[in-house]
Amino acid sequence: MERRLPQFFFVLSLIVLALMLAAVWQAGTPAWKTYQQEFHRLEAAGEPNAAAKSDVMNAALVIRQDLLPGLQRVDRCTTCHLGVEDPTMKNAPQPFTFHTNLAPHIPAKFGCTVCHGGQGLATDKLNAHGTVPFWQEPLLPKEYIRASCGRCHKEGEVPGVPELTDGRRLFETQGCRGCHKLNGVGGTIGPDLTEEGAIRRFPEWLERHFLDPNAVSRNSPMPNFHFTKEQARALTFYMLSLTSEQMGTYYSSVRLIPSAGYGRELFIEKNCIACHNIGGVGAKSGPDLSGVTKQHSPGWLDEQLVNPQMIYPGSIMPAYDLETNARKAIVAFMASATAEDAQSILSARTRPLTPQDAAIEAGKQSFARFGCVGCHGLQLQGGVPNPNSQGGEVPSLLHASDDYTKEEVIKIIQNGKAPPVEDTAKPAPPLYMPQWKSVLTDEDIHRIADYLWSLQKKKDAW
Amino acid sequence: MNLIRDAWQSIIRRDPLSTDKGKSELVFLNVWLHIHPAKVKKENLKVKHTFYLGFITFFLFLILVTTGVALMFYYRPDAPHAYQDMKDLQFVVYLGSFLRNMHRWAAHGMVICVFLHMCRVFYTGSYKRPRQFNWVIGVFLFLLTLGLSFTGYLLPWDQLAFWAITVGTNIGSYAPLVGGRIRELLLGGHTVGESALLRFYVLHVAVLPAVATLLTMVHFWRVRKDGGLSRPVWKLKEAKSAELVTIGAPGNGAPLAVVPASKDKTYGLMEVVTGKPIFETVSMEEEEDTVFSYPYAFFREGVALLVTVASVMAVSLFWQAPLEELANPAKTPNPAKAPWYFLGLQELVSHSALLGGVIVPTLAVLALIAIPYIDLTPSRRPADRKWAIRAFTLFVVVNVVLIIVGTFFRGPGWALVPPWVHIVGAE
Amino acid sequence: MKRRSFLSWGTAGLVALWSAVGVSLGAVVRFLTPSVFYEPPQNFKIGNPADFSFGPPTFLAEEKIFVFRDREKGFAVASAVCTHLGCTVGYFQSDERFHCPCHGSVFGSDGTVQHGPAPRPLEWFEVTLARDGQLRVDKDHAVPASYRLMV
Repeated sequence: MERRLPQFFFVLSLIVLALMLAAVWQAGTPAWKTYQQEFHRLEAAGEPNAAAKSDVMNAALVIRQDLLPGLQRVDRCTTCHLGVEDPTMKNAPQPFTFHTNLAPHIPAKFGCTVCHGGQGLATDKLNAHGTVPFWQEPLLPKEYIRASCGRCHKEGEVPGVPELTDGRRLFETQGCRGCHKLNGVGGTIGPDLTEEGAIRRFPEWLERHFLDPNAVSRNSPMPNFHFTKEQARALTFYMLSLTSEQMGTYYSSVRLIPSAGYGRELFIEKNCIACHNIGGVGAKSGPDLSGVTKQHSPGWLDEQLVNPQMIYPGSIMPAYDLETNARKAIVAFMASATAEDAQSILSARTRPLTPQDAAIEAGKQSFARFGCVGCHGLQLQGGVPNPNSQGGEVPSLLHASDDYTKEEVIKIIQNGKAPPVEDTAKPAPPLYMPQWKSVLTDEDIHRIADYLWSLQKKKDAW
Repeated sequence: MNLIRDAWQSIIRRDPLSTDKGKSELVFLNVWLHIHPAKVKKENLKVKHTFYLGFITFFLFLILVTTGVALMFYYRPDAPHAYQDMKDLQFVVYLGSFLRNMHRWAAHGMVICVFLHMCRVFYTGSYKRPRQFNWVIGVFLFLLTLGLSFTGYLLPWDQLAFWAITVGTNIGSYAPLVGGRIRELLLGGHTVGESALLRFYVLHVAVLPAVATLLTMVHFWRVRKDGGLSRPVWKLKEAKSAELVTIGAPGNGAPLAVVPASKDKTYGLMEVVTGKPIFETVSMEEEEDTVFSYPYAFFREGVALLVTVASVMAVSLFWQAPLEELANPAKTPNPAKAPWYFLGLQELVSHSALLGGVIVPTLAVLALIAIPYIDLTPSRRPADRKWAIRAFTLFVVVNVVLIIVGTFFRGPGWALVPPWVHIVGAE
Repeated sequence: MKRRSFLSWGTAGLVALWSAVGVSLGAVVRFLTPSVFYEPPQNFKIGNPADFSFGPPTFLAEEKIFVFRDREKGFAVASAVCTHLGCTVGYFQSDERFHCPCHGSVFGSDGTVQHGPAPRPLEWFEVTLARDGQLRVDKDHAVPASYRLMV
């Protein structure tokens, strides 16, 4: 024993060294590195000269990830799926294939797992595709991926996914809620379906279940509804889209969904119908918007919404302060808008449309844009403190037409006005109405006056 | 040149090895050599006498501290980041899963080894005078090990962790009067949540390791001062065992002669007492049985360390530490089980909450602590302590059987299901 | 027992052991080296050209850049990080200069140091048009202040 002890020590040290090397080797050769090297070879094959080739071949091997902080998701899929955004990889083998029709759902903003499922954090195929124990969202089979659209687009028709609309309608008309709870409403005989798309992502099982519940779930109390294949597929799509993860909210919070629905809201909010009409329904002072998306490119329309004067100098259309996606949403709405839409928007108004509305709307925009709201308030309620003026605050404009004629108001806007002073011994009030004639055109000023008067009339009507 | 020599001298501090003083200082001034006695008994080095279980437990603790500190660089104790960090360790951090595996398996290993070590100490009667209190320290170290393992169990923040801690802390809440309060203190709330995660983290990485380190130091120190590893029973000679003189051991043997210190002279410690050195009294024949600690004990300990490290590494290379889904308070797995070392208690709780949650654990801990003070027979021979051995064996066997039943034979609804039967629809 | 063989086996063992320790130390350094970054990427898209106005530069707080758009010359992107000690500079329309709030460095609108302790002018980053029509900024790629992208 004594004699062999050092030998023992030596052998064991060697074993520890070998194990350490094995661990280092294991950690140093993850599968994704092999994929990246292979992709670099593919890229190099497409490069014309040797220098570019070697540049590509020697590119660093790094884990790529898309951070979606609002969703607590981190998607590392593009670590291996390197050609997703590269059209030249259209015919490359997986995992390098180009993703057609990707825009506007770019990985940098949406990641991959939101639609495809799988485990975004993982960097090896088995784990990443989520077909492992303890991961509830395995990759969806190809034909069911479109079901994921419904995870964000929770209402209305989703373009290209009629199954979702059908599924939703079936769910609401077939009395599913009698047994199943969804978002807190429904019966308790069957399982709660609020999380169905997040926890039971086995489309084949779901589909067979809808065709005959007893075939896959023995003694299921669910009756056989004798759904057709299409109906079973539609319901499966709908089930797969059910999740309590607030995806739609997250994405709309970062204003990433320029949906037609959002566009319609903006169309109403910005009162476009005050000047424009769709298929002849609405006001006539601006052009008819039906078919406008066919006459002009999306880029042209976008520019028009950014700054109408740029495209048509002297255009009476005000420049609305709209974000990129808000503009896209409006364009999307205009592409699909019909005279019926315009009719429903009109009938939802509290007040019928008059020819004055175009001018009033423009006045409202000017009122907001030139900073009148800063002192007089968004609702013209006034109320900003102005010490030592009569009343002690900036006056409300809601009753302007009671105290002044329209001409007087126009004069005040043009030339400005110092507020009446309460106590001459004290310093003059800090706020006063500035001169606007050098900033605003007469037209603008008239429109603002029209706007003020329009509010007054509305008040009388009540 | 002088500078370098001075610097070297300041590090090694001893005279050159060509002098006797230098040779002795080599041992006295080196902390690793000095915590060992200069010579150890050959018998004590034999594997079959101790299985080196104490050493292995300590080495596992060292592995746990090292890997644990490494893991702390990548761990955030808040939900749900904690879980995401586990995934990062598994998928992107270089050697991350290997280190986590090592930490996990070494932790389980330490619970087992510390228990086996306790069994060994009991069966060899090594808790007897003068080692009674060191046994008590050992019991506390055992409880600390369980505490470290239990607090660490929650940190991955997956379903396994969440429900094991929920069940585990509920077992404790059955204690009358204080149970609920202790649970509230531990969890920082009424359910396992973010505050529980933070509290468990602080306990796991700061409080418990600090206490465990301190007690380990005391434990070692006392082993050394109590005469080193206790001798195999069959080597003891009845007459001699009474003659052993050990510092701090009260009773037996004549008091050491103490010379009053002179007032006009400063003394080193060694000059305070006269007579024979006050270490264990050794007779001539025993002298022949001893060997120098270096290299004989050192190399053996080194081998034990390497075996421990190699085993943990080998296991970690091939077996992944478990990680289930993200903790979900709304979805209880069926069955929800406490960490395996508490499954004996959970098994008892399933029959009687009072029995499993209060009486048995309290009695077990008290009994363990009291063992050296109840078992007063000085003899360490198994033949002289039949009842003690029977009682302890019963405790061990019942514990192991209950844990095995709880781990492998309990299915959904805590029904008795053998592990080879698959329950349809259990998922 | 022979002392020589004892030593030689032991020595060989020590060599193996220290190699293992060496490998472990190297591994620890790699372990601590981050392999993914939870911070804004260095190379990113900032949106469509139409999103940026003419006139004073647009400040993107998260990316810490100023985007200049000029009707004649086109786009340029300047770093908002002061070259002195890394504070974020602000653009003042009143004097058309960048002012650092920390130690008073002042940079001209072309990024050159006009005042204060800053050792170098502000950096300018390459801005290109990505395939999808968005502007792409590469912070790893510095360009001269005269660099412009005409869209």
